[in-house]
Amino acid sequence: MFKQVLVAQWQTSKLAVGLLTLLSFCLPLLAVLYGGDLAGAGRERVGDWLVAADRVAQFLPFVAMLVGLLLGTLTWSADLAGRHVYALSLPVPRALYVSMRFGAGALFATIPGAAMGLSSGIATLTVALPPGIHAYPVELALRFWLASLTVFAIIFAIAGASRRGQVITISVIGAAVTLDVVFLLFGVDYSVTAEALLLLTNWPGPLSLLTGRWALFDV
Amino acid sequence: MIAHAIETHELCYRPGPGFELRDVSLKVRQGAIYGFLGPNGAGKTTTIQLLLGLLRPQGGSISVLGRQVPRELPRILGATGYIPERPHLYPFLTVAQSIRFHGAFYRGFDWAYAEELRRGFDLRGEAKLARLSKGEMGKLHVLLVLAQRPELLVLDEPTDGLDPVVRRDVLSALLDFCSQGAATILISSHLVHELERICDWIGVLDRGRLVAELPMHAFKNGIKRIRLDHAPSLIGDTPFLLVSRQQTALDQLWVVRGWQPTMVQWFQGVGAEVKEIVDLDLEEGFVEMLRGARTPTS
Repeated sequence: MFKQVLVAQWQTSKLAVGLLTLLSFCLPLLAVLYGGDLAGAGRERVGDWLVAADRVAQFLPFVAMLVGLLLGTLTWSADLAGRHVYALSLPVPRALYVSMRFGAGALFATIPGAAMGLSSGIATLTVALPPGIHAYPVELALRFWLASLTVFAIIFAIAGASRRGQVITISVIGAAVTLDVVFLLFGVDYSVTAEALLLLTNWPGPLSLLTGRWALFDV
Repeated sequence: MIAHAIETHELCYRPGPGFELRDVSLKVRQGAIYGFLGPNGAGKTTTIQLLLGLLRPQGGSISVLGRQVPRELPRILGATGYIPERPHLYPFLTVAQSIRFHGAFYRGFDWAYAEELRRGFDLRGEAKLARLSKGEMGKLHVLLVLAQRPELLVLDEPTDGLDPVVRRDVLSALLDFCSQGAATILISSHLVHELERICDWIGVLDRGRLVAELPMHAFKNGIKRIRLDHAPSLIGDTPFLLVSRQQTALDQLWVVRGWQPTMVQWFQGVGAEVKEIVDLDLEEGFVEMLRGARTPTS
């Protein structure tokens, strides 16, 4: 069963997976484009090089987000188009079907992460690093993979939720924004949405993986 | 062995203002070919979706193949072939991929029979579903549900929009399958003449209410239009069921169900004169039944 779900899901996701894999593979290599033999380089040149490599690495969380967003949406696209009638008429418990869809999507979300890990490894090997500077290809790839999976899981849950669930989610967001407007009108210095975002993006919030500094090379 | 393949008791569902399914109590005998008739918007698709657990009822109970919905849904669905009103298969798959996908979910899927049907229906395995014609898509749906070897087939307007040749192919494949075993078929349609040919029971749904449920022969033979002179204005107990009455310039037209020739005496007893008795075909009977259900008779 899972194999067939995987085959069917691949048909809708293959283009996105291909493009995202290419992008994820290219970024770490771009980071070392201006690299070379830094072993004997002066502090200033190493600093410049680190700044350049860092700039490229800051795109990685966005790519991870894109991976999760696109694959999370595409996972359900076929069932959404048929208003879930086919899926619901199949003789499997709903939880099992959802798990299979999630598993297939998560597996595809791993491919760009793996590509990123591979190219990070290659990038690391191409640079002769000066003393005190270290490469973190495995850590970066792991972070990329976890960030993609987290976004994928959130989008998967929202896209696959019942209409009632989606209405509740939108209502909660709408209520938070309305409260912010009311606070603003009454001069209260408090924002519900800002607090919620801080909770989500600061450790141990689920989106904290996406924030902070992403670096392939660091001290 | 269970007596009824489908049994609902006072089923209620109200998706919103404007439509309500009220107290629908269906009984589909095991082995029957049950025609589920009703005009567009009567609630046939909603009832079918409730039977298969795609919607949750707000009242009443549902039993399919002797099991309760929704508690034993996976087992029910494993023994049920369902063709929905609108095609729902994944359009990006090929015919062969669709068969493999569908078959993987059914333990008793008959791969050899699926291949036989595919050849019989002249469907190319490598053809993408998005490129199939409406007729080919209809055939693929029939192929998939028949290869499941189901105990129950639930077909929601399976021939709607198909040309006569494809419609005949689809219906004969269904009838062939039925003649092989003891499958029960619930077939919903508004094409009355189509059901007349194949069904042995019919249920008529109108505006969310089940207005009749009876064997086909009783429906076809017992429904008459009677032209009357001096028809009584008030009706007490009648030996037949008055479906509708209509005043014309000269006389009254009654449509009755459960008619027997000896019942002419009843009219003589109430001082009415029977001028003409006309047999109605299923389509006319269906229309009159709906008219009767929508207007009070006395």
